[in-house]
Amino acid sequence: MTARHVGPLLEIKGIKTHFFTQDGVVKAVDDVTFEIGHGQTLGVVGESGCGKSITSLSVMRLIERPGKIVAGEIRLNGENLLDKTDADMRDIRGDQVSMIFQEPMTSLNPVFTCGDQIAEAVQQHTAVSRREAMDRAVEMLRVVGIPDPKRRAAEHPHQLSGGMRQRVMIAMALSTDPDLLIADEPTTALDVTIQAQILEVMRDLREKNRMAIMLITHDLGVVAEMADEVVVMYAGKVVERADVRTVFGSPHHPYTQGLLLSIPRLDERRERLEVIKGTVPSPLNLPEGCLFKRRCPHRMRVCDTAPPYQEVGSGHFSRCWLTPAGEAPDVGADAEGEEAQHAAEQLTVGAR
Amino acid sequence: MATYIIRRTLQSIPILFGVALVSFAIIQLAPGSPIDRFRTPNVRPETLENLIRLYGLDQPVHIQFVNWITAFVQFWNVEAWGYSLVDGRSVRDTLVDRMPATLLLGGTALLVTIIFAVPIGILAAVRQYSWADKAITTFATIGYAIPSFLLGLYIAYLGTVVFRGLFPGFGMVSLPGTEGRGTPLDVAWHMVLPVTSLAIQQIAGWSRYVRAKMLEVLNQDYVRTAKAKGLSAAKVTYKHALRNALIPVITLFGLTLPGLLSGAVITETIFSWPGLGLLGVTAVTQRDYPVVLAFVMVGGFGVVMGNLLADILYGVVDPRIKY
Repeated sequence: MTARHVGPLLEIKGIKTHFFTQDGVVKAVDDVTFEIGHGQTLGVVGESGCGKSITSLSVMRLIERPGKIVAGEIRLNGENLLDKTDADMRDIRGDQVSMIFQEPMTSLNPVFTCGDQIAEAVQQHTAVSRREAMDRAVEMLRVVGIPDPKRRAAEHPHQLSGGMRQRVMIAMALSTDPDLLIADEPTTALDVTIQAQILEVMRDLREKNRMAIMLITHDLGVVAEMADEVVVMYAGKVVERADVRTVFGSPHHPYTQGLLLSIPRLDERRERLEVIKGTVPSPLNLPEGCLFKRRCPHRMRVCDTAPPYQEVGSGHFSRCWLTPAGEAPDVGADAEGEEAQHAAEQLTVGAR
Repeated sequence: MATYIIRRTLQSIPILFGVALVSFAIIQLAPGSPIDRFRTPNVRPETLENLIRLYGLDQPVHIQFVNWITAFVQFWNVEAWGYSLVDGRSVRDTLVDRMPATLLLGGTALLVTIIFAVPIGILAAVRQYSWADKAITTFATIGYAIPSFLLGLYIAYLGTVVFRGLFPGFGMVSLPGTEGRGTPLDVAWHMVLPVTSLAIQQIAGWSRYVRAKMLEVLNQDYVRTAKAKGLSAAKVTYKHALRNALIPVITLFGLTLPGLLSGAVITETIFSWPGLGLLGVTAVTQRDYPVVLAFVMVGGFGVVMGNLLADILYGVVDPRIKY
């Protein structure tokens, strides 16, 4: 990079990624906005199907038909990725933005050696010889804590365990010193002790490389350990966004509250774990107004109108009608139609 | 790997023995006898009895089998496979003579098949549901559904009648006295129609198979990883996906090989191609028992070898398989 861009590393503004299926349009990502600063870690949290993976694939521009990014901007260092040609985008992928995936067992190509696959990424983005790229691959395997990296580089993926393979994926992703690492559920498929090791590796490298991480997960424990800021997604929308302390300390959105209550805790005795009642609405049949209302314990009449995305604290945003203090809103909990819509707009404008 | 090959080769011996047993039984059960063609009013019964004794047909069946199989395994002897009842030639020599024509035809057809089927299959997979894919699917369905005797006749008709003898419809070389008879060019010219006929059927099957495997592989996580690395679409398709998609195609290769050895019976017959297939058909119609048995055995040998070769190739191309 020549001129260092001032401002956030990644700005996502109002992106909509829709899938045009035979049964109708699935709004997998619907008007999502957030940014990630240089060297920051953002946790993106939500249930399966909430659009968090599609958001990350949108940033990589790896959305395949019938999916399409229909609106919004994705700015990396100030440049809109959606305006890039395919060739320019390929130069960014794997170089400035790298990605690791949930399934280490199947994410590596079985017919090439681990070293080859890392070296391929290096050679794709830097003008080095094959030998130099291979040396870099071995070096990266050492960095991610793989013992005897030279021997491992010559091995095929099936000769490695799941944790080792995820380390190889991380080594591949980081071999080009990316500004942003997108990690899509990097530890979900691994057992707990290996999870901790992988997170350790990621934390270590984040410090060393001053790299930003977009960490997609449904594991709030991982978020608490890794993230600076948190975005909570529900049915394709961001429902709450705040720094990690605020999200865990004083969550505003009833969905976030529900998520936190459903984690078992060691310091409390509880007979039963709270669960969020009901299920995620079908993406083809989303409710009017608030998408969470059918499962929400605070449901009001006004929830039939799309709720405002309001600032409920400093840098703390929530897509809910409840006041910052968590009470029924002044506009009248039973407001309807235009009156409610107007109120929502006012509150949202105040937030942005 | 070497021990694996040796073990598999040894294992194929009992299989070949089974093939021999079944082939022999079928010939035994078939109506008619090798001496039937001598049965005319002019031949005396004593002569027939002498013939039966001469051929060993008076022996019990199991003795006949043992006699035959012990002779048959000595393939290095000219007389091991007996003599043709029709022209009296050594069966082994006849088969050896016919083999090059069959290998030439089958090998060329296989080569043409691979050259066309792999790119066609890839195209259909990469552009799934496009008009190209639909056209390929239509072609493949027709090519696969049409019986080879019909397809062969159509192609013979096309080459000889519609295009007014642009390509010859029978034989491997031009008629005696023609200039340039037997040159490579002459043989190639004669190969056009039979190769086309064989290749169309095989391309139909192979391209579907490549398409299916390619589609399966293109949805794999490692293809997404390759894209996320910033590789070009060509590298993703031809390096990361194709390499994996072609591994199972080896199975098809193994299945095609026996046909290559024993000849495409129908196609060779239609185009009078002087290969093993035509020899086999002629032998069956003439009740030339030694030739039929040898022909069936060569076919069985081809199947066993094809499978063995396919299994060995798997070990070579797929790093996950170690013997």
